[in-house]
Order: sequence, then structure tokens, then C-alpha cells
Amino acid sequence: MEKNVLNVVDVWKAYDELEVLKGVSFELAKREVKVIFGPSGSGKSTLLRCINMLTPPDKGEIYLSGQNLIAPGVDLNAMRAKIGMVFQHFNLFSHLKAIDNVSVGLRRVKGFTKEDARAKALDALHQVKMAEWAEHYPAQLSGGQQQRVGIARALAMKPDLILFDEPTSALDPELIGEVLQVMLEIAKAGTTMVVVTHEMGFARAVASEMIFLDQGVVIERGTPEHFFVSPETERVKHFLRQINILYGHHEELLKEFNED
Amino acid sequence: MIFQVLPQELLDLLRVLEFWDHILIGLAKTMWLYVWALLFGFFLGLLLALLRHYGGRILSRIATGYVEIVRGTPLLIQLLFIYFLPFSINSFLDAQGLPFIPIGRWSIYVTSELFGRTMTMVFLDHITLMGILTLSLNSAAYQAEYLRGAVMSISSGQLEAAQSIGMSRRSGILHIVLPQALRRVIPSWSNEAAYLPKYTVVVFYIGLTELFAQAHYIISETFLTLSVYIVVALIFLVIITLISKSLDILYKRTAIPGL
Repeated sequence: MEKNVLNVVDVWKAYDELEVLKGVSFELAKREVKVIFGPSGSGKSTLLRCINMLTPPDKGEIYLSGQNLIAPGVDLNAMRAKIGMVFQHFNLFSHLKAIDNVSVGLRRVKGFTKEDARAKALDALHQVKMAEWAEHYPAQLSGGQQQRVGIARALAMKPDLILFDEPTSALDPELIGEVLQVMLEIAKAGTTMVVVTHEMGFARAVASEMIFLDQGVVIERGTPEHFFVSPETERVKHFLRQINILYGHHEELLKEFNED
Repeated sequence: MIFQVLPQELLDLLRVLEFWDHILIGLAKTMWLYVWALLFGFFLGLLLALLRHYGGRILSRIATGYVEIVRGTPLLIQLLFIYFLPFSINSFLDAQGLPFIPIGRWSIYVTSELFGRTMTMVFLDHITLMGILTLSLNSAAYQAEYLRGAVMSISSGQLEAAQSIGMSRRSGILHIVLPQALRRVIPSWSNEAAYLPKYTVVVFYIGLTELFAQAHYIISETFLTLSVYIVVALIFLVIITLISKSLDILYKRTAIPGL
């Protein structure tokens, strides 16, 4: 267990009466990429928020490199600095330039000098191909550019892993590609990642395992091949069909229409 | 000669302006009260706003209670309450044989001469302190609500993003939420900045010689009631227009590019 970067053990979470997570467990080794998918309301986002304790779980354990985050007395701020997060709606600090969005954590959390933080932030922006936009404010950037700055902000902290919460689902279709490209590159470079996404192409390319979540429970898990070739449950088959329709495997759709 | 061609109204105004030293010192006192009340009110208001929004159940209820009590009671009653409170405390202390709070026995002032007129500006004494205290405590409640509105308008994702990179909640509020909220609050907050100079006139009731009190002195000397009030009103108009314009400029200068 200590070898894993992350161990999520039997995590439960309810908002008042509504049970969102009902005993979810999974583990993540260094340099591994896991994709979590499932219908909306299945608890995917809540699961990510439990992992970095923005929403502490009601029950269960979360271990970061063997350290239990739920244990009393844990310095959560220090732990969160080791867990990057990329948000669906970017959540860039709107009063700060791209470069300052990336460097603010380096300065205020890691205690780097202004110059060092700036140099490191610029490196991170290079990694997401946003260095030339360093002096721009978020509102001057497209959604795809903002999300890449969001990724740089997480990368710059050199976290043990990065959580991606539907990073492309708030983007216009033509902007999704540039963000996925960056995500593929950092995945191939060895970044440990948990990605909530419905981008099956991305999952197929880099995921070591995919986890299907529905109503707060892991329904099925396996390699991308498993899911695309021989999914077991009817629920997963149905869901993947919907995704196919959405993402344009039109042959099947047309066939269904013709059959009707 | 000139007195024959000018209308009587203008002559009255000129007669009032002969008391320019009283007007000037009154205005100085009004602005003195205003600046401190706005400043203290701002910091206390900011604290109240943050407690109300982030403070957990008990602290936010205390802050809410404060705001509601202050906004729900007349400023004049607050002023008189704070003014008379030390006297009551003193009679209590007296009964116990304890030393008094020094009321009216101290004062920090500057006397200077300008164009042959001697002017005394009292910066601080008991009633000035009570006046500033009342106006600050009152203004804080109103400023708290403007500030709370601005803090609430900043998406919760901003603080979450700050926490996600390891910043503490306090640091996130201070470095991420507040800079955005303080900029956004300017247009609505300018209401309080524009109201407060006028509210300062209530301190006339506890004997502070600010602009309104000086106006009454000039009336008692000249009986030019309307003219005096017009002069005072015009002075407020100019001051408040300047304040509004400055805040407009500040708002534009602090604009976030692209937003």
C-alpha cells in the first residue's frame, strides 16, 4: 500500500439525505493515469473533492503516499499542495495574470522568491504552451487557454498527483483538442493523474484503468480495452452507447435510425 | 457702488462668507470625523462581513445581530446612548469609590492664524471621540453589508482553487478573494462614502462644532438662515461630488483587463 501514491478506501459521502458516495475504493500507483467516468450525479466530482479534502468524506480513508488524510492533526494545506486539481470551470484567479496564477502558490505556499517563482511558473506555462500568454489576464484568454493555465498552475507545484474534474466539458468543441493534447503530453511525461472525463479517446490513449461510477458505487472497472471491447454490465453498455452517439460514431446511430 | 447693482440674495451670501474662518474650521472638523469614521467603519465592516460569510454559525450570528441592531435603530439614539454611557459608568464608579473616566478634561487641539483670524481645531477630546466612535460603529454595519455582498459575489471556486494549491483558507481569503471583492465593492460602497459626510451632522447634538454647528453660529450672528443653509448644502455637494468622482476613477483604474 505504501508504494501507491493514492489509496482511496471505502469512501462514503452524503449531502444531508442524499448519499453521493457509497463505499468507493481505488488505488493509484506512481505515473499511473486513471479515468473515472459515469453519468452526471454519479459522484465523480465529489470523489475528487473528497480526495483533496475540499469536501471531507463522512467515512473511509484516503492515503497520500501512505499518509492518512483523515487522521486528526494532519496539515491539510501541506497535503493539498501535493495534490493538484484542475477544475471544470478553470477557477483561475481572475485578478491575476496567467503567470501570477501559476506563481502565487510557489510564492505563498512553497516560499520561493518572486524571481524563482516566476521562472518556475514560466517553465510550467511552457509545458502547456502558454508562455507567450504569461502577461494576459484570464478574461483575455479563450476557455482552452484558461484551462491550460489551470493545468500549469497545478503542474508548477510539482504535486504527487493531479486531479482533473471534467477539464474539457465546459469548453467549446474546437478548444477541447488543445487541452487534451496537453493532458496527453503530461501523462506521457509521467504525471500521476486521476481524470474525470468522458473523452474516451483520451482514456484509450493513456488510462491504465477506467472506473465506471454510478449512484456513488463503482459498477465496473478495467482497462480501456475491456470497456471498449467487452463491457460486462448493461448499465455500462448503455452509457457507452450514449457517449458514442454524442461523440459521433455516426455509423451506429444511422444504423439504429434505419432499423427504426 | 457695487452694493447697489448686486441683488440682495447675493449680498446675503457674501455676508455669510465673511464668516469663512468658521466655515473652514467647521468643514475641517466634519472631514476629520468623516475620514476616521469611514476608515474605522471600513475595517470593522470588513471584519463583520468576513465573520458573517466565513465565520461559522456562532460568529456569523453575532455579526448578523450587530448589523441588524445598528441598522434597525436611529443613529441619533446610538449617538446619545454612547454619549451618555460614560456618565452612567462614572456614577457607578463613583458609588464604588473608584476613579472616574476623564470626561471633558482633556483635549488635543491646534490653534493657528490665517489672514488675521485665529482658528482652533480640536482634533480629539471626549465628545470628538464619542462622535467618531458612534459614526464608526454605525457606518461599519452598512459597510459590512456592501462588503459581504461583494465577497459573496466572488465565486466559491476561487477560494477552492486557492486551497487546492495548498493555500490556507485565511491566505486564500486575504490574497485571492479580498482583492477581487474590494474592487467589486467600489460602486455600491460609494453609497456609504457619499452618505457618511452628511450623517456626521448629528454630532451637533452632543456639542461638536463641525460644519452644521458652525452654520448655526453664523445664523445666530446674521439671522441669514436660508443663505447659511444654502452655503452649507453647496459645500456638501462639492465634497460629495469629489468623493464620487474619485471613486469612479479608482474603479476604472483598478479594472481587470478583459473583464
